[in-house]
Amino acid sequence: MEGAFRKIDIDVYDEDVLAEEELYQPNPRGPAEVLSETKQKATAVRSALAKGDVSGALGIVLQNPPYGPHVEEAKNTNMTTLVSILNSTKSSEIPNIVKSLTQDEQDTLMKCLYKGMAMPGWGDLSGSVLLGWHEKLTEVAGTGCIVRVMTDRRTV
Amino acid sequence: MSNVLRPYLAAVRSTLTAALTLENFSSQVVERHNKPEIEAGGSKEVLLNPLTISRNENERVLIEPSVNSIRLSIKIKQADEIERILCHKFTRFMMQRAESFIVLRRKPIPGYDISFLITNFHAETMLKHKIVDFIIQFMEDVDKEISEMKLSLNARARTVAESYLSTCAVTNFHTLANADAY
Amino acid sequence: MSQPEVYNIAQTPITCHAFSADRREVALSLNSNEAQILSKQGHEWKVTETLAEHDKLITSIDWAPKSNRIVTASQDRNAYVWTQTPDAATGRMAWKPTLVLLRINRAATFVRWSPNEDKFAVASGARAIAVCSFDPESDWWVARQLKKPFRSTVLSVDWHPNNVLLAAGSADMKARVLSAYIKDVDSRPQPTVWGEKLPFNTICGEYTSASGGWVHGVAFSPSGDALAFASHDSTITVVYPGGPASVTIKSTTLPYVTLTWTAEDALVAAGHDCQPVLFQGHENGWRAVGSLDDTTAPKSSGGTRMGSGFGGSSVGRLNSAAFNTFRNADTRGQSSLGFGAAEGTGAGDTELLTVHQNTITSVRPYEGVPGHITKVSTSGVDGKLVIWNVSAADGLAGRLGGVHLR
Repeated sequence: MEGAFRKIDIDVYDEDVLAEEELYQPNPRGPAEVLSETKQKATAVRSALAKGDVSGALGIVLQNPPYGPHVEEAKNTNMTTLVSILNSTKSSEIPNIVKSLTQDEQDTLMKCLYKGMAMPGWGDLSGSVLLGWHEKLTEVAGTGCIVRVMTDRRTV
Repeated sequence: MSNVLRPYLAAVRSTLTAALTLENFSSQVVERHNKPEIEAGGSKEVLLNPLTISRNENERVLIEPSVNSIRLSIKIKQADEIERILCHKFTRFMMQRAESFIVLRRKPIPGYDISFLITNFHAETMLKHKIVDFIIQFMEDVDKEISEMKLSLNARARTVAESYLSTCAVTNFHTLANADAY
Repeated sequence: MSQPEVYNIAQTPITCHAFSADRREVALSLNSNEAQILSKQGHEWKVTETLAEHDKLITSIDWAPKSNRIVTASQDRNAYVWTQTPDAATGRMAWKPTLVLLRINRAATFVRWSPNEDKFAVASGARAIAVCSFDPESDWWVARQLKKPFRSTVLSVDWHPNNVLLAAGSADMKARVLSAYIKDVDSRPQPTVWGEKLPFNTICGEYTSASGGWVHGVAFSPSGDALAFASHDSTITVVYPGGPASVTIKSTTLPYVTLTWTAEDALVAAGHDCQPVLFQGHENGWRAVGSLDDTTAPKSSGGTRMGSGFGGSSVGRLNSAAFNTFRNADTRGQSSLGFGAAEGTGAGDTELLTVHQNTITSVRPYEGVPGHITKVSTSGVDGKLVIWNVSAADGLAGRLGGVHLR
């Protein structure tokens, strides 16, 4: 096998290459902290939903979303919470709710919608619900919001 | 067009518009080269998060953006065996003629039926919004085309069967006799 | 507000442009390895000279107004300084190239003369900036490299008015301010808000937009006390090192790639959205004032036009020329004209409502003094060169009514 060296990927050894985790600001909070916070938020969302305050519940779940390495569990919990809100909203209410969000929250919501669409059949998630939200959100937040989903490495 | 399809295509349209923000970018790995970064994959920082738009598990679009190129892959709806065969033939036919189709990729990404590769050079020679229109038009028509083909295939099968059986009915005896001879 | 002056230069993209000091000539590159010098004759721009020395795509051109020199940078890793000298045979003035030893091994992406025109900076894909100054003893341009903090291709640079500090935007999502002080050329700089002692390659600041994105364009304000950069996440960030922090404006439209300050409290940004947008603000907040493009569109007045398919029935409005061409090839065996040819037939809805029909590649000041720019020029992928009036900015405010840029 004297030709084996030809198959070595030498670009891997380039020291200047940027690594995946260097592309965004690290999360200041540790995984355990993030998880407990997410669980608290899930409880807060349930009580807000019980009162019928959908935009309030959405605001809670979209604040400080978990990102970074080793927070898969928190991400899943957060997503489940979000899906429960999305499913329990009447489509006629969506435009007003979306308008009441801040720009950061809109960006986070858009990230979650794309994440939801990337894993159909996950939980009780249906494509038409997500597409409905996506359409309304794009009308309000524009293509800029979608561009930020693509550029932001702090994936939800 | 059905109401279910519209939000799906609208989502693809807005995502594709957002992704088609390309520029000329010379490779920073190989000198004096200029290649689609999404295919080369040599520099992580010039790739962006891939986005999926899905209607259901069997109909989805994957958009993988980068600084100078995007890859768009479509999973076409295939309800039964006939549609699967037709879809395969149809996409194969096109991908074999990819060079006259400019933005088509010769091979689809695993898990998808057909892929497009749009680079900054395409976005320079063609109008961006027309490329978007074209992709949407393609998605809209490919479903239509396949169900049309399925219908005409069924109709043709019926005609063949009918004409064969009508001959059978008249020359029933001879046919059977001949069949024995073969 | 006066109409913009629109010149259709070519059908091919204009990758970059630079006007001469008297604005009677313009140097531009039509997406090729040659640069053209055009001079204005009546309402037309006529090619008077072609600068052909590069062998790959020219990425950037700058024209020094006082010393009347042109510098070009290209993906062939080289830069040339062009000076106008009389031709020995005919006696006519012609542009003569001088090769600059950049010592970079990847594409040169961007070039700018310093304010005093004794240095220029070349950004490159070699994760470095070459700062070049003239060495009269050897009679050539020598380069010193700013290499340290860059982790990816440098996409743009801009000089501070003090001729020493340099801002750089790069594909590693950061905008930086560095010192490009060269002992033999520069006198000791006055302390600025960016720092006091500034030896070569001092990093004075590193800034990033929260949602990431390559930094496409950077620009110092006329005083040099603020820095604005446009990144690929559709944001404009203005940094005040002396003040509280930075101000980020998130746009609802496609990313901006280039920007220029028109006053200490105003800047114009343009990019994939195909129209230049005026921003105004100060340390406590910035806002989008409006588009310079007067799009008397029936349905919308602002930025979301490119993606107008979100609402309504426009998904189905397309003509299917391209698909029909292909289907004809499929069912009838007609020779395929390909996508490009088919596209031309659908003339009805090809036009965008903006002046530029494709991405704007660069926006530069055209008329006025730094701090009070009254006109800017833009060039785009659609082959258009447009001169916009920004002095009538106040009249723009009303036009933003239908757009929600926050």
